[in-house]
Amino acid sequence: LDLYVEALGFGLVSMSVIAIAAVGFTMQFGITNMINLAYGEVMISSAYVAYYINRAGISIWIGMVAAAVSGAVFSFLLNRFVYAPFQRKGTNLIGMVIVSLAVSLMIANLLLPIVGYYAVSYQNVTGDLIHIGPMILTVNQIAIIAVAVLVMLVIHGLLTYTRLGKAMRATAANPTLARNCGIPTQRVIDAVWLITGALCGMAGTIAAINSDSFAIANGASFLITVLAAAVLGGAGQPYGAMIGAVLIGIITELSAATWSPQYKEVVAFGILVLVMVLRPQGLLAKRGALAAAG
Amino acid sequence: MNTFYATTLLVYAGVDIIACLSLNLVFGVSGIVNFSFIVFQAVGAYTAAVLSMPPQSTPGYDWEFYVGGFNLPFPIPWVGGAIAGGLLAIPVGFVVLRKLRSDYQAIALLVMSVIANTVITNADKFLNGAAGLALVPKPLSVQVDPNTDAYDYLYVGITVVCVAIVLVIAHRIVSSPYGRSLRAMRERELAAMSIGKNPVAMKMTVFIVGGVIAGLSGAVLVGFISTWAPSVWLYPETIILFAAIIVGGRGNNIGAILGAILVPVGFEEVTRLIPGTIGPPGLIPALQWVAIGLLIIGFLWFRPDGVVPESRRVFDGGPAREVQ
Repeated sequence: LDLYVEALGFGLVSMSVIAIAAVGFTMQFGITNMINLAYGEVMISSAYVAYYINRAGISIWIGMVAAAVSGAVFSFLLNRFVYAPFQRKGTNLIGMVIVSLAVSLMIANLLLPIVGYYAVSYQNVTGDLIHIGPMILTVNQIAIIAVAVLVMLVIHGLLTYTRLGKAMRATAANPTLARNCGIPTQRVIDAVWLITGALCGMAGTIAAINSDSFAIANGASFLITVLAAAVLGGAGQPYGAMIGAVLIGIITELSAATWSPQYKEVVAFGILVLVMVLRPQGLLAKRGALAAAG
Repeated sequence: MNTFYATTLLVYAGVDIIACLSLNLVFGVSGIVNFSFIVFQAVGAYTAAVLSMPPQSTPGYDWEFYVGGFNLPFPIPWVGGAIAGGLLAIPVGFVVLRKLRSDYQAIALLVMSVIANTVITNADKFLNGAAGLALVPKPLSVQVDPNTDAYDYLYVGITVVCVAIVLVIAHRIVSSPYGRSLRAMRERELAAMSIGKNPVAMKMTVFIVGGVIAGLSGAVLVGFISTWAPSVWLYPETIILFAAIIVGGRGNNIGAILGAILVPVGFEEVTRLIPGTIGPPGLIPALQWVAIGLLIIGFLWFRPDGVVPESRRVFDGGPAREVQ
């Protein structure tokens, strides 16, 4: 039983990581109608920003903030100079997916000569052990969970109580109508890319903290887990992505504990296939894109 | 330029043309974004390999771990590889093609490609894991000595025959009423449904045909290079073929052939001439991938129809009007 409790502890950590990433991904999709397959690569490039700051002897948590900023700027520029022009040109959904995959390939291979092929890891990130009942977590793992809970609350507050959040939901529901009501959809979309990019950068850093080491090749596996959580919850739905992250996090860690950690992504993929066969619209789809919770 | 280089280039060109014709049927003509194309090629290659290899206990092969090992003579492994590609298309199509939106299909297939590679890499007793299969017997090597120029020419000849067969099939499909229905479905699925076409059945059929051809391309390739490992079928390989179709021109076979010659063959060969000593190790291959990405984005932006755009088919007997 201890094995399962321990796995549950890891599950809490990995669901926190996935939740931050998946909420960002799904908001990009829900509001800007863009399946951004370069998301995993933006995550990994932000993780490297944090790595270089951390290597200079600065705390990884400051590195994480820098990674969030770099993720935000990167995503914003990506949309401004690549995705948005193609969307304005009337490129169809399939074309956009191909564009984003090409972008993903380019980011990964532009980074490779800069950061090298070898896996790297952050310094001084293990921290002390803390016992919570039978669960053993490190201080940093608890910090990750706290950060994730905080981010989820901020996103919830943003979408529910602020003008910007309401404008985002309106843009997601019907961009033309939103524009006619005087919502500056262009600026809303810019804000979405900044916010989701920041989430992406944070997620990349804490995913890297959570794994012992990381390399460019991890971008693809990040993307798979994020896709699985987002699709499971219903693509385009932040609350769905949170639920998806909880389920994927727990299930993959339990499978890693009982079966083999090599097959974590395979399990995530299995869930993805099941969802696509049984309920392709995802768990929360009936609420409509970006509907308020409750 | 020596014989070996020339024949290698020709066989690679043949394989890429077969692959592009297959991808063109599925993606260009029918609009299914098959991001796991390379998995179908890999299945064909693995199947052809284990069908032609002797059982694992044979001396000289006992250091590899693989299932099967049937030691079958030449045409059977290739046919087997093609059939395996088609068989794989059935469950994949069942999951992906029935209910999902086109962009969901694309991500599902992309994820499948990554996962399939992970599974085969980690399952080291199944197809020898990350090390992959080696010493795959060359077809007809009993009859002709594979270390001669004559054998290389023979292989080129067999490849050309395969390309010709595939081209005839692809041409017949594209120009048939079925091909017309596929294009109608690609352009507007709802409209195609309204005149009684069943898009799921049509997509499944073309997906299976595409899988068969992709499997054949893998079989031809593995017979020539004699090895097959997970590192040669990572998902970016599919992107090269997509680049080829986009550059050549979606939806027509001439464009697919041209794309295969321009991108996987021409582009990769030209960059191979750049000395690898420039910059840090791995710089040139990395920049090659960047260039493939730029090629896709550039063509989608400036010339989305490719070098040879699909010809607009207009019914002569219809009322004269400007088709937008």
